[in-house]
Amino acid sequence: MEQNQKVILSVKDLNVKFNLRGKVLHAIRGINLDVYQGESLAIVGESGCGKSVLNKNFIGLLDPNGFISSGEIIYYGMDDGQPQVLSNYKKDKEWLKIRGSEVSMIMQDPMTSLNPLKTIGKQIGESLELHQGLKGKALKEAVYGILRDVGIEEPERRYKQYPHEFSGGMRQRVVIAIAIACRPKILICDEPTTALDVTIQAQILELLKDLKERYNLTIIFITHDLGVVANIADRVAVMYAGDIVETGMVREVFYDPRHPYTWALLSSLPQLGVKGQDLYSIKGTPPNLFNEIKGDAFAPRNPRALAIDFEEQPPYFDVSPTHKARTWLLDPRAPKVEPPEHLKQMRAEL
Amino acid sequence: MVKYIGKRLARSIITLVIIVSIVFVLMRKMPITGYFPNYDHMSPEQIQNSLHQMGLDKPVAEQLFIFLKNVVTKGSLGISYVYRNQVPVTDVLAPKIPLSLKLGVLALLVALMIGLPLGTIMAQHKGKIVDKIGTGFIVLIQAVPAAVYFLFIQIYGTELLNLPLMFKETDAKTWILPVFSLALPNISYYAMWLRRYMVDESTKDYVKLAKIKGFSERKIMFKHVFRNAFVPLGQYLPTTFLNTVVGSIYIESLYSVPGMGGLLVDVVKRQDNSMVQAIVILFASVGIIGLIVGDIMMTLLDPRISFAGRKGAR
Repeated sequence: MEQNQKVILSVKDLNVKFNLRGKVLHAIRGINLDVYQGESLAIVGESGCGKSVLNKNFIGLLDPNGFISSGEIIYYGMDDGQPQVLSNYKKDKEWLKIRGSEVSMIMQDPMTSLNPLKTIGKQIGESLELHQGLKGKALKEAVYGILRDVGIEEPERRYKQYPHEFSGGMRQRVVIAIAIACRPKILICDEPTTALDVTIQAQILELLKDLKERYNLTIIFITHDLGVVANIADRVAVMYAGDIVETGMVREVFYDPRHPYTWALLSSLPQLGVKGQDLYSIKGTPPNLFNEIKGDAFAPRNPRALAIDFEEQPPYFDVSPTHKARTWLLDPRAPKVEPPEHLKQMRAEL
Repeated sequence: MVKYIGKRLARSIITLVIIVSIVFVLMRKMPITGYFPNYDHMSPEQIQNSLHQMGLDKPVAEQLFIFLKNVVTKGSLGISYVYRNQVPVTDVLAPKIPLSLKLGVLALLVALMIGLPLGTIMAQHKGKIVDKIGTGFIVLIQAVPAAVYFLFIQIYGTELLNLPLMFKETDAKTWILPVFSLALPNISYYAMWLRRYMVDESTKDYVKLAKIKGFSERKIMFKHVFRNAFVPLGQYLPTTFLNTVVGSIYIESLYSVPGMGGLLVDVVKRQDNSMVQAIVILFASVGIIGLIVGDIMMTLLDPRISFAGRKGAR
């Protein structure tokens, strides 16, 4: 996965705000992000950092009180090669040519994602009928094929069953089948394994990896489970308070993190905790996004913050061609601050 | 499915027998004048004789048993003594039942045809002006006693729209006001619940997934939301049956419709015990039929409700 690959989705200086009880909440604060064709990108960060809000913009499902105040989202994947400026889409009608057939999404909870009153065959077939105009026997055959692809056996029998006859993991497979039925180019997975138990999680991740190859998908993974990231992603973007603070290939961000927030996030991994020591947790709370944020958003929670962190927002510094971080620590004039001792220890152990 | 309906029917018959028993016992507490058109002119011996002939001096339990036996074997509901002299109740009812049935079914259809689209439109435009006007209408109909707006409909219907006041079976124009009056409570009822359930459903995750699939809001409304909102609506069907029955009692007297509702008011006024007993039992049966239809409809629409009734016996 190299940098010279084709960009399929480009986010430029995106700002998203919400009107809430007469106040304005600045949820996405100037994000720049390129998604490359065929990669799997993981977006990580704690709850409320804006991961989901960011991704809802890609499929036009922002809540009605949210709006893009500035910036652009451009989609390059159309078959006719015409770039589509998604951020300019206003009406539902415009989105219809993107949703399902270009960009699709898997939601968190498979127990509620399916219509309880329709057979799963109908629910998968619905979108094939809509986008590809399939009917009758051809439609049924296509649905059988997709069911087999997502690892559901005896598709002929399963076709006629209702969601309540499926287990959680199986339902998530059905949801995935619906999402990929019309061969979208980008698949957004919004914490697809959070509601499942661990053994099923692994199966679903395997399935997604497999489908990514077979269906030629670009996957955007939203998660706060760093284990999932290590398992499936090529590249990571770490989000904090509506901004991306560090991006890079998975091994770069995991083995050589540069932003203090990434340090803190990695230190919080319970798997990497040392026996006998308290689990690490980040002190304080994320900043209130109703207020204007000055300097580095993470500075108030960062024990190693520099004076300038409170004054001015740091720019991105390149660590490698694929790895960059938004912290003053990378400025040549900055004092040398080492990552926390236990992180180095962990790295040595890995 | 057949087994489920059979079970459901058996249970309903038990309910019906219980209702009949209660009504029967209560009617025995009524003055016996209700069995004689000319009570005042009869001597105590004559009265005793007649009571013996009618079998009314037997214990209540035995009378009830005879009554039920007659219903099952002869299809007889007793004999009217006051309203008609010595005429079987079934003969009195025979010409009236089809008329009331027609009126009731027509009113239910009108209620569905207006109430469902109204609820759908309100749900689609939730919070907008259409929704607010609709809500106002619903609150008004639900809050104001039916008798009041029935009278208003009668007054303004005849005054402004120049519609006839007296019901005549052969004149279609005379059907309009009674049918509309009868439908009105159910229109607001259907609209209220359908709107509520559609709004509920439209916030569910599967609606979001349908959006992700690329369906337009309109298609989602009809293909997913409406159908799913219709299931819980099934449980209100019995109530609308009862609304219609209750409404018909008043409406039929108001427009002089020679049907069951008007008849009930008549026979209560004239204290014909056997007639009252028979009609009350019939109306109770309508309510029970409403319950069965509602239940069967829900099992047909919702695959999660099992026919065998093992999970959550209803």
